[in-house]
Amino acid sequence: MESIPQLPRLGREVKRHGHVSSKNRYGWFFISFSLIILGVFMLYPIISSLYMSTMSSRGMIQRYVGLGNYFKLVKDSVFLQALKNTLIFFIIQVPIMLFLALVIASLLNDKSIKFRGVFRTGIFLPAVTSLVTYAVLFKMMFSLDGFINKTLLAMRLISQPVPWLIDPFWAKITVMIALTWRWTGYNMVFYLSGLQNIPDELYEAAEIDGANKLRQFMYITVPILKPIILFTAITSTIGTLQLFDEPTSLSSTVDTAATIGPANSLLTMSVYIYNLCFKYMPNFGYASTVAYVIVILVAILSIIQFKLVGDKR
Amino acid sequence: MKRVSCMFLVMCVLFSIFGITVMAGGNSGKITIWAWDPNFNIPVMAEAKARYQKTYPNMEIEIVEMAKADVEQKLNTVLASRTKEGLPEIVLIEDYNAQKYLQAYPGAFADLTKKINRKEFASYKNELMTLKGKIYGVPFDSGVSALFYRTDILAEAGYKPADLNNITWDQFIEIGKKVKEKTGKAMMAFDTADGGLMRIMMQSAGQWYFDQNGNPNIVKNEALKEAYATYKKLVDSGIIKRTSGWNEWAASFNKGETASVITGCWIIGTIKAEKNQAGKWAVAPTPRLNLASSVNYSNLGGSSWYVIEKSKNKAVAEDFLKTIFATDQDFYQKILVAQGAVGSYLPSQSGVAYTEADPFFGGQRVFSDLCAWMKKIPSINYGLFTYEADSAMMVVMPDYLAGKINIDTALKRAEEQLKNQINY
Repeated sequence: MESIPQLPRLGREVKRHGHVSSKNRYGWFFISFSLIILGVFMLYPIISSLYMSTMSSRGMIQRYVGLGNYFKLVKDSVFLQALKNTLIFFIIQVPIMLFLALVIASLLNDKSIKFRGVFRTGIFLPAVTSLVTYAVLFKMMFSLDGFINKTLLAMRLISQPVPWLIDPFWAKITVMIALTWRWTGYNMVFYLSGLQNIPDELYEAAEIDGANKLRQFMYITVPILKPIILFTAITSTIGTLQLFDEPTSLSSTVDTAATIGPANSLLTMSVYIYNLCFKYMPNFGYASTVAYVIVILVAILSIIQFKLVGDKR
Repeated sequence: MKRVSCMFLVMCVLFSIFGITVMAGGNSGKITIWAWDPNFNIPVMAEAKARYQKTYPNMEIEIVEMAKADVEQKLNTVLASRTKEGLPEIVLIEDYNAQKYLQAYPGAFADLTKKINRKEFASYKNELMTLKGKIYGVPFDSGVSALFYRTDILAEAGYKPADLNNITWDQFIEIGKKVKEKTGKAMMAFDTADGGLMRIMMQSAGQWYFDQNGNPNIVKNEALKEAYATYKKLVDSGIIKRTSGWNEWAASFNKGETASVITGCWIIGTIKAEKNQAGKWAVAPTPRLNLASSVNYSNLGGSSWYVIEKSKNKAVAEDFLKTIFATDQDFYQKILVAQGAVGSYLPSQSGVAYTEADPFFGGQRVFSDLCAWMKKIPSINYGLFTYEADSAMMVVMPDYLAGKINIDTALKRAEEQLKNQINY
């Protein structure tokens, strides 16, 4: 926190010495490289794809349709389903995952727990495993006569094997379980580091005042972690709206299967973009339109989250 | 949730404008080939390369192996960006996608109508690569479909091989019920999200998702309706084991849990991978639909070689394909034995490897049979949107299977979705 105010002071010193313009010139020179690269590889594609979204194409053959693609979106039942699926993943999976991460983080922050490091590592590890490996394992575990069904049957929790990955509803649940397994530990690490900044005195004082663990969690931990919760919420939102890997790996192979998950239940917007470009008749214009919808959604949801958390700065 | 931005895909397209100059051929007499499947197409091409290099030792041939999705991705991106760099001389394209590439990228592929003797290839293969009277590719492997079954399991249920010859799907289900009752085994593994069987059934009646003019033909397509209803019959009869994805599906017959497999002949390699089932398998023609137009011969999958028109060594590439894939009969014997690749080059089919009895299939002359059936596969034009149509059909499938909607509603919904999606 203290290093930030020093920066303007440094600037003022420069001004006093009267080297402003030459220093500025050098400054611009040094950053020009990254600016040019940024312009060519970021700004240009963004603008170009906006232009592209006004075209409809069949491979090389393309024609200008103006806002036609955007009107087509509204009537495209496949897109609407992709949008719906993505939002379902977002609304159900993200809160569960973040809440779990928060709870696990505050549990593992307790200094009286032995082998905390082992538990922390164990829960974080899924985030660094290879996607393909875990997708294959999950597919095996969740097959009709796989490990999960066999265990549940043996424990007499279910009488019929659950059609994970075969039934549209259960397929979504499976992907949510997979996502939560993989990303909870990742978010937990952020919370853990945030928890290190909460002084123990606060908890001590609260305990003296007679607040139990739950109240401490609600009134000390959560409010202080607010900025970090916001950060994880926004990254998870973006991640979920761009969800691509899990649906493609957990459904049948992308290039041969007809649908992404049974009845397209795992079709997300990013997967749809991929299909529009490479699996179906290549329509890059329409794909750009869908991409822009994701951009707009991410922007809107991020603004809402900023407002909800209500941090005025 | 990898942070692969959606923009990234779009950017990829744009990147190629700046020049993907990975595989520029040069004039050194080098040709580049893109293909997928390290157990099938790649070793086949490696064999072809070795044979060609015997005659032309200075010829450099680079076989680039990629996943199928990656080949398609790269081809689409480079062709759409209109750059002349970065394209191979020869590319493998799946038959269902042939028309899509030919029509979406006019002028991108070389016209090979007269370069090879078309009469020497299975007619349905020529048909699918024909656009406006010109024939573009060199036909490669056939996906002639068949009913592969376990003779021991069927014998246990009281069936002789003759009972499985030229049957209908209804007869197949009846046999399946008996098998289930007597042996407890499922007749076949079935992924209800996969449109493969439906395509087999449709082509057996000479129909496709589209009519001759390329318009969606779903609601009024009798073969499709019958095929769709057969999906439900198969599920309702309880003779199938439901699976999800390739691995589970293949495991079911490798482990001996199911009594039969109905798919393209390229499955033979996978079936034979389970050595302790040797001698217990046999092959019969594909079941047909309850329609006068339906025959016991169909196809699933298969792909062909295409030459890129603007590639540097186009002439050499054409000569290479002609010398090996349209002339060399011995080559086809070799790849049949080594990779189980059933070519669609008819003169090769009287060769030794094709006519040999296969002990794995109880001494049956499997490939002779398959080749005889291949010639009778109804020729159809797959059109431009096979995958879009497949998806539209399968989206409504779970509701139909669960009895929530009837077949007419399902087909109507599928047609609406398809029409909206291919509207451009």
